[in-house]
Amino acid sequence: MIDRIIVGLIFLVGLWGLIGKRNLIKKVFGLSIINAAVVILFIMEGGKAGSSAPILEPGVRDIVDPVPQALMLTAIVIGVCVTALALAMAYRLYKATGSFDIDEVRERLDDGHR
Amino acid sequence: MNAQAKRAPVAAAVLSILVAAAILWPLVAFDGPWPRELGAYLESRGLEESGARNLVSAIYLGYRAYDTLGETIVLLVAVSGAIGMIAAAGTTLAIDYSYPAKDGAVDGGEAEKPIRRKAKKNRTDLIEVVTGKLGPVVLLFGFYVMLFGHVSPGGGFQGGVVVASGIVFLALGSKGKPGGGLSSASTLAKLEAAGFAALIAGGFLGLASGTGFFAPPLAGTSPLGFIIALNTVIGLKVGAGIGFLCVAMLGEADYD
Amino acid sequence: MIEVLLICILALCLYTVESKDLLFGTIALSAISLLSALLFYLLKAPDVAITEAAVGAGVSTVVYVWAIKATERKDIS
Repeated sequence: MIDRIIVGLIFLVGLWGLIGKRNLIKKVFGLSIINAAVVILFIMEGGKAGSSAPILEPGVRDIVDPVPQALMLTAIVIGVCVTALALAMAYRLYKATGSFDIDEVRERLDDGHR
Repeated sequence: MNAQAKRAPVAAAVLSILVAAAILWPLVAFDGPWPRELGAYLESRGLEESGARNLVSAIYLGYRAYDTLGETIVLLVAVSGAIGMIAAAGTTLAIDYSYPAKDGAVDGGEAEKPIRRKAKKNRTDLIEVVTGKLGPVVLLFGFYVMLFGHVSPGGGFQGGVVVASGIVFLALGSKGKPGGGLSSASTLAKLEAAGFAALIAGGFLGLASGTGFFAPPLAGTSPLGFIIALNTVIGLKVGAGIGFLCVAMLGEADYD
Repeated sequence: MIEVLLICILALCLYTVESKDLLFGTIALSAISLLSALLFYLLKAPDVAITEAAVGAGVSTVVYVWAIKATERKDIS
């Protein structure tokens, strides 16, 4: 129970970085932390079901559930791509406005369009 | 505006507590046992049905290879989107630096900072020697993880990201030259396209032989060979895709 | 053991979000990935541990360092 609450707190820290911080890179940090929290939660819950890794060597029994591991494996690879895409967007905004502060970015983009 | 500014912290605090409670409540309230039926089924039947000892490989290439196709498409779209966005930003550099700022002093300082930083030398002999020697070793380990994914921990995605790390090492250790061989961006782009085409072709192979999309082509035999082939293709595709992204970004930061 | 690792990860997450220097935050994020890989190994998920270690230490850090180097390093807001 206590481990689940800590994972929830990690998720909340990521959400705080995503919503509460004004720097664009900090927002991408928040996305990465949220991704890590979800992966940790899935692996932790799936790992409670057994006591050995899901490699079926002869004599291995009582394996953990392999389905969450297969899901999270791809989620990690997709997560790094999402990070790269978000950073490319932040880079583009920085090149267009010269700032990472989200309020200044909005202000300057509005000025530029007017 | 003033009253709104005074009221905002209270509303923000209430909203924060509500969001925190909404996220933490399901973690605390729903504490049922983990469903064991699927794990038990895979433990008893997975080896004979898929032929792979590593059940994780058996799941994402044997049982749900179609989802893996979707995930590789997401990868392709993310990589091409990121590269396209960086390239588009690079072509508009000249007009963006002459952006009319409202308060000139602060903005001028910020806009000039990247130019000054890029002029600095950012490679040392230490990094070049270590990464240049370590790159092939990491690449070898990546191909091992990729090819033996059916019997030991590993597989296409795992080996692919290790191969991508090796490519980054090779690119860092290429002595300031733009990088040839495996660490050149055009080779990696071609390799990723070839990997994706091979993956689609592997999917239609099963369709042509009458077993179904992304099913093993020969009905009645063990699908182990198909899993090994898909592991190799996906490993090359993931490694080339992520490596291409990193090499393009390293080149961007160094040479423009 | 698992709880200790999780608390370390939580502390590193707080540092990542709060640090004024974005490069320090990137290194802390890399350390989060390393601790997560250790956690996955302890939780009997070696496949995920390999992936997380390679992604967190190699690829993700390269992408962040590129973005910070091409723009600005300090969080001034």
